[in-house]
Amino acid sequence: MGHEIASPPAPLPVGRGEIERLTCLGDSRPHCHSERSEESLRGDEVTGMRERKEKHVSTNLGEVLHCEPLVSTWGTSVGTTDDMTDGTATTQERAMVQPIVSMREIDKRFGPVRANDKVSLTLYPGEIHAVLGENGAGKTTLMNILSGMYQPDGGTIELDGKPITIGSPSEALAHGIGTVYQHFTLVPNLSVIENVVLGTKTGFVLNLSKGEQRLKEVLTEFELNTDPNVEVRHLSIGQRQRVEIIKVLMRGTRVLLLDEPTSVLTPTEVEGLFRILRRLREEGVSVVIITHKLEEALDVSDRVTILRGGKNVGELGPDDIASAGRAGARQRIVETMFGGMPAAAETFQQHVATGKTLLELSGVSAIGDRGEIAIRELSIQLRAGEIYGIAGVDGNGQKELGEIIAGQRKTTTGRLALDGTDYTNAGVATLSRAGVGYITDDRLGEGVVPGMSVAQNAALKTINRSPFSKGFWLDRKAIEANANTLIEQFSVRTPSAQTKITLLSGGNIQKLMLARELAMDPRVIVCNKPTYGLDLKTAQFVLQTLRQEADSGKAVLLISSELDEILEISDRIGVIYNGEIVETFERAQVDIETVGRLMLSGRAAVAGSAA
Amino acid sequence: MNERARMSSISILPIVSSVLAIVMAFVIGGIFLEANGKDALHAYRILFERGLVNGDGLTETFKKMAPMLIVSAGLLIALRASVWNIGIDGQFMVGALLAGVAGAAVAGSVPNPLMWLIAAVAGIIGGMLWAVIPALLMVKFNLNEIITTLMMNYVAVNVCAWLVKGPFRDSSVVAPQTKQIPLADRLPFIPGTEVHIGLIVGLLCVVVVAILFRSTVYGFCLDVVGRNRKAAIHAGLPVGRLAGSALILCGAFAGLAGANDVLGIQGLFKANWDPGYGFTAFALVYLARLNSLLLIPFAFFFSFLLVGGDSMPRRADVPTYFVGMLEGLMLICFAVAVYLERRWHAISERIRGRPDDRIEPESSSGPSALEGLEISS
Repeated sequence: MGHEIASPPAPLPVGRGEIERLTCLGDSRPHCHSERSEESLRGDEVTGMRERKEKHVSTNLGEVLHCEPLVSTWGTSVGTTDDMTDGTATTQERAMVQPIVSMREIDKRFGPVRANDKVSLTLYPGEIHAVLGENGAGKTTLMNILSGMYQPDGGTIELDGKPITIGSPSEALAHGIGTVYQHFTLVPNLSVIENVVLGTKTGFVLNLSKGEQRLKEVLTEFELNTDPNVEVRHLSIGQRQRVEIIKVLMRGTRVLLLDEPTSVLTPTEVEGLFRILRRLREEGVSVVIITHKLEEALDVSDRVTILRGGKNVGELGPDDIASAGRAGARQRIVETMFGGMPAAAETFQQHVATGKTLLELSGVSAIGDRGEIAIRELSIQLRAGEIYGIAGVDGNGQKELGEIIAGQRKTTTGRLALDGTDYTNAGVATLSRAGVGYITDDRLGEGVVPGMSVAQNAALKTINRSPFSKGFWLDRKAIEANANTLIEQFSVRTPSAQTKITLLSGGNIQKLMLARELAMDPRVIVCNKPTYGLDLKTAQFVLQTLRQEADSGKAVLLISSELDEILEISDRIGVIYNGEIVETFERAQVDIETVGRLMLSGRAAVAGSAA
Repeated sequence: MNERARMSSISILPIVSSVLAIVMAFVIGGIFLEANGKDALHAYRILFERGLVNGDGLTETFKKMAPMLIVSAGLLIALRASVWNIGIDGQFMVGALLAGVAGAAVAGSVPNPLMWLIAAVAGIIGGMLWAVIPALLMVKFNLNEIITTLMMNYVAVNVCAWLVKGPFRDSSVVAPQTKQIPLADRLPFIPGTEVHIGLIVGLLCVVVVAILFRSTVYGFCLDVVGRNRKAAIHAGLPVGRLAGSALILCGAFAGLAGANDVLGIQGLFKANWDPGYGFTAFALVYLARLNSLLLIPFAFFFSFLLVGGDSMPRRADVPTYFVGMLEGLMLICFAVAVYLERRWHAISERIRGRPDDRIEPESSSGPSALEGLEISS
């Protein structure tokens, strides 16, 4: 664990406190942190609660007085403090250190869904804390509560031992809790320096030149060798992320939340980010990273909290990780995350896919919405009569894969063939006529047209075909009759076919979308997260329908982040990681833990378990 | 189905808020008048008398209604597809110029109905021509049509002025203008009135647009593009072509309106003639809530405002611009009303509570826009 941080980082010329002052733009409150002082006072703190409290007060005073030395901890204390003792303080010592943030028994409900069910999270000063979990485990909800985006329904949040409420993201910032979201909040056509000072409390007149030289140094420290005056749109994604981090730090952040920070980065950029996070840790900033990438979590974090189904299921502290070793820790985490999952093998009947290959992707690559390479040289063969499940953690290229097959996304390399005929980049309309049905995961965003009726939405994709239209003219009777048939067949709950689609629940919209797609009688059905947010009954209905379609000779590609449902109905399972299918299994040969490990770590998991 | 669904499912609330917005605009406008020492009630009485009551005024109002209806029918097509055609005035001018030139050229040598048809087609071509450029820029290069259509207005003013002072100038008169179409060859009156048949053309345009959105594939597809572009892409619609064609069609209607004014009222095209229907049409179409048949009453209302406004300087000592200000106030009040309406829906939904399993707490696309706002503030 300590291996990669054994050599102390080079001394930094400026500390964060200085960064704030240099442009005189940061919050005027002195952000000198008790963490460091407390760490150095750790020995004294065993003397008891009361004394510790006094000590805390005095260190607070000390902060104010000794702002300068504290600020230079990036440079000085690193040289004197052994990284190992910092990163892996013993449990007893840790227990004595006051947590900087402790979230206790946080509850958060969204309607009937308990996104967080008595979740607790304790964050110590100067540590990197990874929150691991599958999609829907409640990680993002928990972070949104800490960053002030959501209000918890129950539980308490303490900061430095004092209970606080965080009403909004700006209140969170005032408490020193800053968040770097997956979607950056930089303005692309403003310069780096303008972005960094944007939103800080400043006078009416901007004086950027004053802080420019210092910001340059800070940028260098963050391994960003760019001119502060360059516009952000010219920076790479990794560089933008660092600017985002600097921006948040400038507001006096001592708790830094990062939501899936590595999902858009190249491996080299990931390494760079981790170097920066380790340096921040040395300065006493506490970092929380939300991630589903196990290897990365193990690489960088001191402590790992694991969530599953909205509950705490495990926490590994520094000494747990140290004693179990990397392989052991990985094993424990995978077991915690996927262990006890029903294998569902006994209920599963093997369907032998004897059909010919209907869909073939060979060596397909594509660029994602954020300009990253979303799909890398991916190849799939989909045969008639089978369900091919794509397992993977969200954001590994699943959406892009579905869009490529549907014709909504252009490929940069590779070939897409349907039943032997080349359809590479043929476009949605052509592919749809050729027999590809795509059920999107973005129901309200692109699946349906919000202002229109159920009937209109049901006919949306085939409006220019018989029977819905004859030449130029719509046949409104046919549109309505079709909708009524689909409503009946798929028992969509709606007052009438004329009801606006947005008045239906998510499950019923999903049923209608499924009905619409199947009514087109496609040969290849691609569905992305078809049961997302649905109640159990509807979800089962959707899965059974897909199974029936496959049994009737169609090829189904089931993309889902819910491993259970993939295991339930798929014949073959491919694990997608970082835009690649890293491994394919016949359903009968599936070992859940291997799949889980592959989902979380990609090929590294195979190498890791062999070691 | 479209229109009926819209009318019945939203009930009458939208029309109520449009009317309320108009009333509020009059109230605020009245405060302005009073603050400037004018008698607001008197001024409004003049406005209404002249536009509505007076026989003469009513005729004027109906005459004005024709271009209003044609232009707003075209704008409705564009706005239903979420295409913002700010260039109606330019398209109107080019259409009017070509109609004037073509009409005058053939007047006398062909039967009048044929001459009108030729002039109308020339007007339509002119309007389309002026819309094709921004449409191509929008579809091919993804340039914002708001900017390009707006800029094309300025180009139109000067190009038309040049043409009418140069190649198309009627050399028999001093003023720069096209050759006049004789009074006898202009559009005839509707029997029993002094309103030319342009009004009927206008009403026909609205009916055509209503049918377009009610019963045609094209109208349906435009609606899809306008309401949810991503869904249109998902459904495989040719989004670019649809949006571009909506813009060109809108230009065609604007050009037809130009031809209508030339054939019905002016008889010629003068340099710098710009009645500015485009911006009024925006107010009109929005207050009609993008509903085609509602265009008719609102077109009547705006026409009488313009006609009444013309008489306000003389009789109430209020500048004509005041009507423009009223239009602006109506749009502002309308925006407020729409906001309040949304709040009302949100509140009433909360009170009624609706059965809903549409919960997507981990959705990444949902709160992201909000996140950006919250952080940078």
